[in-house]
Amino acid sequence: MHQVTAPSPFQTVTDAILLAAAVALLMGAVALVFGLPGQRTATLFGVNLCAVLAFQVFSGNSGIVSFGHTAFMAIGAYLSAWLTMPASMLRVTLPNLPSWLGGHELPVLVALAAVFVLGLGAALFSGVPVARLNGASASIATLGILIIVYSVLSAARDLTGGNRAFYGVPRATGFGLAAAFACGFVLLARLYRDSRWGLMLRAARDNEPAARACGIDPVRLRLGAWVLSGGMGAVAGALYGHMLGAFTPRDFQFDLAFGLVAMMIVGGMGTVTGAAGGVALIMALQEGLQRLETGFTLGPLQVPQVFGLPILGTSLVILLVLLLRPQGLFGDRELTLPARLRTRQAVGTEGMSRPAGGTRSLRLDAVTKAFAGLTALRNVSADIPPGRVTGLIGPNGAGKSTLVNAITGQLPLSSGQVTFGTERLDRLAPQDVARTGIARTFQNIRLFERLSTEENVTVAALAQGVPLSRARDRAAQELDHVGLAGMAERRAGSLPYGARRRLEIARALATDPAFLLLDEPAAGMNPEETADLARRLRSLPAARGAGLLLIDHDLPFVMSLCGRVIVLNRGEVIADGTPEAVQRDPGVIEAYLGTRASRGPTARQEATPPPPTEEMTHAPT
Amino acid sequence: MGTLLQQTVNALSLGGVYALLALGLATVFSIVRLINFAHGEVMTIAGYGIWWALLLALPAPVAILAGVAVAVGAALAMERIAFRPMRGADVTTLLITSFAVSEIIKVLFQNGISARPVPIVLPAWLTSTIDLGAVRIGMISVVSIAAVVLALGAMALLLRRTPLGLAMRAAAEDFAVVRLMGIKANHVVALAFAISGALAGIAAVLWVAQRGSVDPLMGATPVLKAFIATVLGGLGSLGGAVLGGFVVGAVEVFLQGFLPEAALPYREAISLSIIIGLLVLRPDGLWPAANVSRS
Repeated sequence: MHQVTAPSPFQTVTDAILLAAAVALLMGAVALVFGLPGQRTATLFGVNLCAVLAFQVFSGNSGIVSFGHTAFMAIGAYLSAWLTMPASMLRVTLPNLPSWLGGHELPVLVALAAVFVLGLGAALFSGVPVARLNGASASIATLGILIIVYSVLSAARDLTGGNRAFYGVPRATGFGLAAAFACGFVLLARLYRDSRWGLMLRAARDNEPAARACGIDPVRLRLGAWVLSGGMGAVAGALYGHMLGAFTPRDFQFDLAFGLVAMMIVGGMGTVTGAAGGVALIMALQEGLQRLETGFTLGPLQVPQVFGLPILGTSLVILLVLLLRPQGLFGDRELTLPARLRTRQAVGTEGMSRPAGGTRSLRLDAVTKAFAGLTALRNVSADIPPGRVTGLIGPNGAGKSTLVNAITGQLPLSSGQVTFGTERLDRLAPQDVARTGIARTFQNIRLFERLSTEENVTVAALAQGVPLSRARDRAAQELDHVGLAGMAERRAGSLPYGARRRLEIARALATDPAFLLLDEPAAGMNPEETADLARRLRSLPAARGAGLLLIDHDLPFVMSLCGRVIVLNRGEVIADGTPEAVQRDPGVIEAYLGTRASRGPTARQEATPPPPTEEMTHAPT
Repeated sequence: MGTLLQQTVNALSLGGVYALLALGLATVFSIVRLINFAHGEVMTIAGYGIWWALLLALPAPVAILAGVAVAVGAALAMERIAFRPMRGADVTTLLITSFAVSEIIKVLFQNGISARPVPIVLPAWLTSTIDLGAVRIGMISVVSIAAVVLALGAMALLLRRTPLGLAMRAAAEDFAVVRLMGIKANHVVALAFAISGALAGIAAVLWVAQRGSVDPLMGATPVLKAFIATVLGGLGSLGGAVLGGFVVGAVEVFLQGFLPEAALPYREAISLSIIIGLLVLRPDGLWPAANVSRS
């Protein structure tokens, strides 16, 4: 008898506090040991950390490197300066600034609150293009935003003084304020990372099609992260401005962005721990190199002045890190309590009983999909009933995967209709199809490689709107069902092949689907694994009330499971009936069996060569 | 009418430079998924190549050829030293790699040559103007347009008529196919970098001829525009990059020409906002790259 456990809901909170405490300790130590210069360095560290975490909240979780957050920093710095400066000072430095905008001598904390709100607003406004573009295009768009803000600030002389230094800004950012905000930002970034939104966004980062197939809408999540990080960036910029005391728009241009991105990348942008570590490392490096910049003697060697030595050193470190540890020095691991101090809590098996039995059937009406020069599906019509296993077979290239992609909204149809119950699916985006209760697996397994095994499954339940703690429980149970409970905390990317297949099925089941489409689930499995899988699949409709569409080109496997089989060849349905009827169908024999019959039922082995088996554990039976 | 013609010529010549740079970026991106931030430095190196050749008292045409040759060499060296070890890394890693390479090269220029601009004197006929009635057109604009047309035509021929060019187009859609065709991947990648270097070199010649000087940051601004052009056209699409380059150039020139005086300082912000607005409407670009993904 074993007990199913899930991570404690408090673990993220304790880990976040642990990391914030570590940051506070580091800052305090530097300030204590090195006196006044140490205090200044620690203050700069705190401000840099705030800025890097603003970058990290967006870039780390979405995987899109931003260069644009210094634009929010600039906006924050100017707004906070206007709000906190005395009117008499502003009249000298910015005589044409509208009086309602500045000179209120607000307390810094009040100004920072206003800055945060403005940052959120500016990010919401600018976020639509960034969220809609993908990957590299989005990075370039953030650059565009940086240039837009920079050129507006430089041109709006009345508001900023243009490219002349804007001086007289209260130097309000001392050690205490910097430390408080650094710790606060660490908590915020860390809690966001493990929140439902952070988890779903990281899933989309790792594999966008799979995330959509679970019901995740990456665009909305990216926008959410961008907005939060924009608010954080504006606050970080205000702190930076109050530390400098005088600045121009140029101070927030590429050089600053490069420095901050470097810190984030070197430590590892996927984690808050990495971001903090990166700030410390790069600052130590630059501090050292700045001293050598004016030239130095190394034994008998006289090294001349090298202008830009800190930039040179930082760049070389980036190249080295990317080459040797692309995920950053701290990798994908957050600072956490040692394993023996962490608690996992037991999960009850009750609460797993779901409303049994879908009653909706999946109907295809003359589904046609044409690519340039190739009709992959031609007039495919079928009615796939709930609560049963239906097989879809056909030789390679018959259009099976295309059909799955057409049903799940990955490929727009050329003509025809797909309905689920009374709902039209063929005009929905993949994530909306998933939310109607249709789950799928992929022919070439698509996991969220950098998430843990249990996170992979949790995130699928989250995408259906299940609260985080219940989603964790459900994930623990699904993993237990497929025999992966022992690997719950491993990174999905490190799992052996058979476990990856089972994890993908567990993930699909965690969305509590009314219908499950399995695209060659047995590909690459050895005969024992295939038999085990067949046993599990056979019990699914009864246990979960889910309809199952099983796609494979291996006849014996499909025939053993299905009461009804649809045969696809060259994009057309050539047979539809019981396994026996299909096997006797002359058209099927010609198109399909004709090439294989001679090899008999052992055709499985040559379907896809099984990978070297590194399987250590088999599912408990 | 006269100003419209003049502005059109300006738009074509500026857009042409962006198109050359964007096409080079897109060629490399379509094959190795690298957004090359150091492309601007390739352009700058070409500028210094011309400057150096002129210092050696070489005739202008030779100096120009030398500049282009230096750019090709620099692009190939960059690929060999910095990018080949990273082959197959994800888009983000490659992007940051090129970012770091770009910073390193800039520091080297500042220390090795000068942080300040160095002058380049090109033959007088290049800087002369042509009078067409009321309209005055700079010879350099005409030469630019001619050079761009020639370069783009040569690229089209190379990509459509030669085996290696065909291999490159195939690689842009599916790299694995190239291996199946029995062509060495390294050759295709090197060719892509060589082409991008040559295009950046030609762009540098045209840019330098208009500016009359080279400085360490020379390539940064035009290449930034070229980035935006490639995204606007559709990242990875060669035709899109060229189209995007001309659109970016046209928006910039016409805003400069027709914005009211008071709004002129904001033209950069306005032109970028227009372009980003276009992207919101067409997130895959004006002329999206064709690639079929299998799940």
